[in-house]
This record gives sequence, structure tokens and C-alpha cells, in this order.
Amino acid sequence: MTSPLLTIRGLRAAYGKIEALKGVDIEINPGEIVALIGANGAGKSTLMMTIFGKPRARAGQILYEGRDITDVPTHEIAHLRIAQSPEGRRIFPRMSVAENLQMGADATECTEAERDATLDRVFTLFPRLKERYAQRGGTLSGGEQQMLAIGRALMSRPRLLLLDEPSLGLAPLIARQIFDAIRVLNRQDGLTVLIVEQNANHALKLAHRGYVMVNGLITLAGTGAELLQRSEIRAAYLEGGRHG
Amino acid sequence: MTTIPQTTHASRTAGIPSILKTAVINALVALVLFSLMVGIRTEAGSDGQLTYWTRFGELASLVAVVFGGSIVIELLRQWIGPSGAERLVPPAVHTGMAFVGRFLAPALLIFALLVPVIFYNQRYILDLAILVLTYVMLGWGLNVVVGLAGLLDLGYVAFYAVGAYSYALLATNFGWSFWVCLPLAGILAAFWGMLLGFPVLRLRGDYLAIVTLAFGEIIRLVIINWQELTGGPNGVSGIPRPTLLGIPLDNSDDGLAAKLGIEYSPTHRIVFLFYLILAMALLTNWVTIRLRRLPIGRAWEALREDEVACRALGINTTSTKLTAFATGAMFGGFAGAFFATRQGFISPESFTFQESALVLAIVVLGGMGSQLGVALAALTMIGGFELFRGLETYRMLVFGMAMVLIMIWRPRGLIGHRAPTVFLTKAKAISSDLVKEGHG
Repeated sequence: MTSPLLTIRGLRAAYGKIEALKGVDIEINPGEIVALIGANGAGKSTLMMTIFGKPRARAGQILYEGRDITDVPTHEIAHLRIAQSPEGRRIFPRMSVAENLQMGADATECTEAERDATLDRVFTLFPRLKERYAQRGGTLSGGEQQMLAIGRALMSRPRLLLLDEPSLGLAPLIARQIFDAIRVLNRQDGLTVLIVEQNANHALKLAHRGYVMVNGLITLAGTGAELLQRSEIRAAYLEGGRHG
Repeated sequence: MTTIPQTTHASRTAGIPSILKTAVINALVALVLFSLMVGIRTEAGSDGQLTYWTRFGELASLVAVVFGGSIVIELLRQWIGPSGAERLVPPAVHTGMAFVGRFLAPALLIFALLVPVIFYNQRYILDLAILVLTYVMLGWGLNVVVGLAGLLDLGYVAFYAVGAYSYALLATNFGWSFWVCLPLAGILAAFWGMLLGFPVLRLRGDYLAIVTLAFGEIIRLVIINWQELTGGPNGVSGIPRPTLLGIPLDNSDDGLAAKLGIEYSPTHRIVFLFYLILAMALLTNWVTIRLRRLPIGRAWEALREDEVACRALGINTTSTKLTAFATGAMFGGFAGAFFATRQGFISPESFTFQESALVLAIVVLGGMGSQLGVALAALTMIGGFELFRGLETYRMLVFGMAMVLIMIWRPRGLIGHRAPTVFLTKAKAISSDLVKEGHG
């Protein structure tokens, strides 16, 4: 019915000779949360980075709102209202929380009123950031830094948000807060989210649909609930993880 | 109660073997180094043969000094190191320093404005003040590149040279006035900054430092060897002095003194030069402060923090880096033009790597990115250097030691604190606007 917001077809990418993506096809519809799960080194983060043009795709297509963005320079992709909370958060440690957030808004054309409305929204989602707005980013706890990374991405008022391992290294309670915020953003603001996660259980419960990635290829696709029921997923990513 | 001092005592004494070990290693290194440098003395004999004799006494005393010095430094590090320094300073002093800090910048500015009044008859101090201000300006200019954008530039002197030669050549060949040449010198230096920027866009850290270092040398070598244009090692002489809106500051009938009907004194020109460089330095400072509050300034700082994140946020890192290089270079060019008009003579000798290193030291010592810190560091480095003149040969030694101590105690520079530029109060005020608009 509706055309997908992001379509990836036969995407290949490599670091030197090592091919990280070997022909990936995924689709993300507007208003969806899509989870991408898989083991370490499966190419999940690479897929995310390739959408942003670093590394460049060797083959295949990335279509965003029907437009081919495969060869668009990295810094221009953010102007298309795709935002990213990168792996390892990558906040600006010596700049204050307020400045970090402002950085998210700087590169996009928006009025002051729009910016401040977005800022209010971010502070409603993550009240912790408002408390610490004058603090240096590097002095925040891991969970707060993750909130800041998401908040900074939101400041560009994206239509599509890419989240790379938002729960990495966080206490379960904090991780739950982050996932709750993502759910709220999706339900209330209609934000489309692609989330890469190791925490398959959480991610699949949150997501409408999910993809499983193994060695640079999508091996399984389905709704979040379906994937959670699959025995091979349970064995590989859920029970296996629980036993260490 | 009794256990606590015991444990602290234990933790201190536990370090003694390691301190001794470090000292012995340092002494051994010194022994190896100095055994040839000091221990054996060679000279050409009367028939041209090599004569040598040993100086074991000097060698032994040097090694002993290194051994003792290592112990002292290790002890200092343990007891008043970076973490200990905070504890040693009582809170009252901390609040006092914060109080001083708030008024330090305005006080310094007022003092700077009054320097020619206070020291009117002391030519030496006025000259020194002009020199200090030149380095303050250079420091502030380099601060844009190194402190804000985080691009380690070891060839900053190249832009200083470009500015100086631009003015010198334009003024001596075409007779253009200082005020026409000043912006041109800035533009030319900025152009060269961009030119340097392009090849180093992909480089970071050490690699960037090496290329910029080479760039500084290239400019100097070109100046030395392009004799027809630059006069080579002989330099350019007879560079016109600056004028006050076309009125020269000399002893002639058209001079300022004659027009004002006051007695001519060479100090007039010095005072004028002082206020000129002060105004130029303050302009640099003002522009930098303004830029820091704009998206471009924020992008520079974000670039220093994390380039990948910058790109993901939609910042064009290419243009951000180039503008940083160009802005920094432009201020260097201005300072260079001032240097040329002040000296009246320039030669490649003024633009060696040592100048780059000095300016970089000022920026690092001042605390990367801090405007006040850079000014204080320039004052300390240039002024302090003059202060130690009485020590003659030992002045480099004392100076080096002072720098090492400052870096031990204040590893982030004199003023490591960075003032944020985005505040929430503004956002609050505008969110009420949004309510008024009703359609936000």
C-alpha cells in the first residue's frame, strides 16, 4: 500500500578485501520499528554505516523515499532527515550536553521555534539530560551518554532513526528506559526506527519486524513475534546468550 | 584512627624500591649518554692527530645529579602530582582563585590599555609588550586551528611569513599603504591556509603535524631561494612604517607631532604600534569568541572531539577544516604584516620552525581552546623568557624546567576549563514563543 521509506537492494560493502555485506536486501516501511539482529561481526554495523556512505557500497542500491542515495556524500545524508546514533555513542566529550544537542540541530535547516520544540521533546523523553544540560558530555554515565546520543540524533528532526546497539554496556534497567523511549517515539511521533541489537530478546519484542543477519547476509526475516518463536533464533541469540 | 595514617605511610614507603629502580635506570641512561659526550674529550693535537683524555669526575657528578634528580621528581610526582595538587590546595584558595579568575580578563585588559601610560619612558618594556602582544595574537590565531578544530599545525609560521612578505613586497614595490596591505596580507595567508588544507584533509594527529611542519619549511625555503622576488637570505629592508590614517608618525613637517603641535618623540611611534597590535589582537579574540557561538565554531570543536560523529550529523568536514585553516592563517597573516611594519626589515631567519614551536607551546600551555589561557601563556613564555635573561646560559634550563613543572601540575594547560557556548535559558524563552504562535 504505502511505499517503503528505505529500501536496500543487493547491497555489498567491504573493508579492503574483506567483504562485510554480501548482498543485503531489507525494507523499512514508514512508522515501523525494524530490528536487525545477529552475532558479532555479522555486518550489522557495517550496514548502518553503509547507509551513511562510510564505507561506500560496492554494489546494490539504497533508496530513501524512492530516491537513490547510494552515492550521496555522508554529510548530506543527514540533511535528508536520516539520523544516526552511532555505535559507541560517539558524543562530544568536552562539549556540554546542551552543545551536543545543538550540534544535532546545526546541520539541518530548521527555525529556532522548531529547534526548541524538538529540544523540549528530547527533554521530556530524557529528563536526565535536562538536569545535566550544562555538564560536559564526557562526565555523563553510560546510560546518559546513550540518551544524549539519541537526543542529538533526534535534534535533526529525523524521519528515519538508525540506532546502533543502544543497550550496549548498559544496566538492564537503563536499557529498558532507552527501549521505552524508542517505543514512545515510534508510537507518539511516528518515527521510523532501524535498530541494530545484540540483545535480540528486547529488540524483537520492541520491533514490528526483524531481520537476522549472518556473515553479511540476511538469513531470516519476519515479524518480531514470529522471530522470537523460531527455535533457531532462540538457540542462537536468546538461550545461548543466557547461558553465556 | 591509628590504622589510617599507617596505611598511607605504607603506601608511600612501598614506592621506594620503584623510585630507586627508576632513578637507577635514568642514571644508567645518563651514564651511556654522557660517557661519550662528557666522559671522553677529544681534540686535534698539534700534528693533526687525535688526542683524547677522560673526565670521569664530571661524568660521575652528572650521573649523580640525574640519579638524585630522578628521585626528587618521582617524589614530587607521588606527593604533589596531578591528583595530589588538587588535595593540597585548600578550598578557600579555590574559591579565591575562582574570584580572581572572573576579574582576571578585564583586569588584564585594563592593564594592557594602560601599559603605554605607565611605562611611557621605558622603551624596553614597551618593546617587550609589543612582542608579547604579537605572540598573543599569533597564539589566538593558532588557537582556532589547534585549540578549537584540533588540527595539530606545526607550520603556523608559514602564514606569519606569508603575511609579513605580502606587506613588505606590496609596500616596497608598489608603495601601497599599510592599511591597504593589511587585509590583503590576511587574505593571502588565508589562501595559503586553504592550499595547505586541501592535501591534509584526510590526515590526523601525527601525520597532519608532519605535513604542516614540512609546509612551514617549504615556505621558508621558497623565500630563501626565490631571490628575485624576496631578496633571499638578505630579506626585504626599508619597509614603510604604518601611518595613522595617512599621517606618518615621524619627525617631518607632515608628521603627527608637527600637526598636533607637540614635540616629536620616537616613543609616539612605539605607543602607536602598541595600540595597533593590541587592537588587532583584540579583534582576533572578538572574532574567535563570536565564531565559537556560531554553528561553524561549534562544528570546529565537534570536529576536534569526533570526526565520524560530525559527518553523521551532517557536517561537511571538508569545508569545516578548510575554514579553520583559513581563519587561523588569516590571523597569522595579519600578525605577519604587523611584524613587517614594526621591524622595517624582514628576512627568512625570523620565520624558522622555532617560531611555530613557540606559538604552539603558547597554545598548549595556555590550555587548548582557552582565550585567556593563551594570553597568559604568551605573557609567561615571552615575558618570562626576558625575566630570566639575567641567568644567561642557564635561562633555557630554568625555562624548560618551568614548562615541565607546569605540565606536571596542570596537564590541561594553565586554563583547562572550557566555557560552554549554548545555554538552556535561551531555549526556555523561545518555547514560550512557540505557545504564542500556536502552530509550532
